[in-house]
Amino acid sequence: MRNVLLLPELAPLALAVLLGWTGGAKLLGRHTARQAADTALARLLPGDRTAALALRAVGALELVLAAALLVVPPSSVTLWPVALWPVTLWPVTAAATAALGAGFAGYLAYAKVTAPQSSCGCASARHTPVTPRSFARAGLVVAGGAGCAAAQAPWWSAANHRPVAAAVVVIAFGVILVVTSSELDSRWLLPLRRARVRLFGHPLAGTAGEVPVAATVELLENSLAWQTMAPIVRSALADHWDSDGWRILRYSGVHTGADGPRPVSVVFALDANATLHTVTEPVIRVSVVDEESQQAIATPAAEVTRRPLLPMAAPGLAGA
Amino acid sequence: MQNSASTPFDRRRFLTSAAVAGATIVGASALGGLDPDAAFAAPMRPTDPAIAAADFAEGIITGVKGSTLHVHGSFGTDYLIRLTNATSVWKVHPTTAAAIETGDGMYARGVRMPDGTIAADAIWVNIVNITCKVRAITSDRVHLQHNQHTIVGRILTGTTVATYGHASATKDLSRLRVGQAVQVLGAWRPADGSVDVVRFSTGH
Repeated sequence: MRNVLLLPELAPLALAVLLGWTGGAKLLGRHTARQAADTALARLLPGDRTAALALRAVGALELVLAAALLVVPPSSVTLWPVALWPVTLWPVTAAATAALGAGFAGYLAYAKVTAPQSSCGCASARHTPVTPRSFARAGLVVAGGAGCAAAQAPWWSAANHRPVAAAVVVIAFGVILVVTSSELDSRWLLPLRRARVRLFGHPLAGTAGEVPVAATVELLENSLAWQTMAPIVRSALADHWDSDGWRILRYSGVHTGADGPRPVSVVFALDANATLHTVTEPVIRVSVVDEESQQAIATPAAEVTRRPLLPMAAPGLAGA
Repeated sequence: MQNSASTPFDRRRFLTSAAVAGATIVGASALGGLDPDAAFAAPMRPTDPAIAAADFAEGIITGVKGSTLHVHGSFGTDYLIRLTNATSVWKVHPTTAAAIETGDGMYARGVRMPDGTIAADAIWVNIVNITCKVRAITSDRVHLQHNQHTIVGRILTGTTVATYGHASATKDLSRLRVGQAVQVLGAWRPADGSVDVVRFSTGH
């Protein structure tokens, strides 16, 4: 064997695994019809049924090629004419594989241009966007198809003669296939990232600090003060700031008094460290300030200073 | 209590003293609010007949002329949104009308005027509220997957918060997990399609 690296010899095996997987998913998948409707094929061909048929046909072609790559030995030309069939079949298999890869690349380019939101439709029933990795995998099929034409021996005899080297090459091929297949990300990439967080610590650790404004707003919105002022408040949170342990929340509103409706600011002052889960009865100060005269206006808040919560029914009484 | 409030700082100081000196109200309620989530709430008819029913508009801002926004709605309707001194503007955080740019998306709530414009009470610029799956976490970004599309979520130190379950919002983001489903409230950046994350909600 002259190919020291065994790449042309073992490429057919890797390609057969890849095409067997993607072809099988297309031809035999229960969701191929739905998958086809999600791909650019549905745009290229008239009707979803035609697209589904085309997807299944491509799957069948991939399976035939996968089988050929697995079983046809790349016989030397010197065997001719004794073994006419293998000599002619191997280059055809290799060329067909490379052509299929080129077809995939062309289809992906078409999909990327005409329907960038469409699914690749490559191997998974799930929506798989067309990414550079999809092109890389199609490119590998082209390169692999062209490369395996140079094979000097069938993959099984190469594996038999140099098992360790063959195992290394097969593992390398496997890694390349997995890395270029976004369908498999949830099997390895997410667990790998989870493990990284576990091993090297959470990248966002130590971000806790003071009570965020969102928590103060939540406390306000679940308060009697808010309920009292709701008829006046019109805007969303307009401004907020902290001052001497207070957190001030400002809203715009309209107060209708004796002289008609007037634009006002409704300002609430809350404990900057309080949240809905640290206090049950929030103590909130509120003032309504006329936007034009900058005078505080007497509001319903002056009359409602405290309203105790009604006691909740004890859980044991619910069924009584 | 006359105050000219010449600078924003003076104005804040004045409003602080007004608020702290204001009436104290003690007690809890569950009325609901006008926080960014309200941008996605269905327009509600107010129970108080003194308040006009709110009008609601959304779309892409095609032009800003003075205090009027020209907005092209997602369903083909065009709106003219008028901003007033009382309009609250949200873009990642409460800000001013100066932060609004052509090309931004917006949700606005307000009152329809007789001339057909909407006088906005509140406007939320580029707000998004999407269900995602966490794909990766780094020190300043969280990579998200939304309907099979990948989105870069930018972490804004001091602004981005998380709510875990029914607990109050916290700045502690260290409980986010790779692979976890999260609801992301944030502001979309039209320039690169990334999202400035304001709040992650998990475990609801």
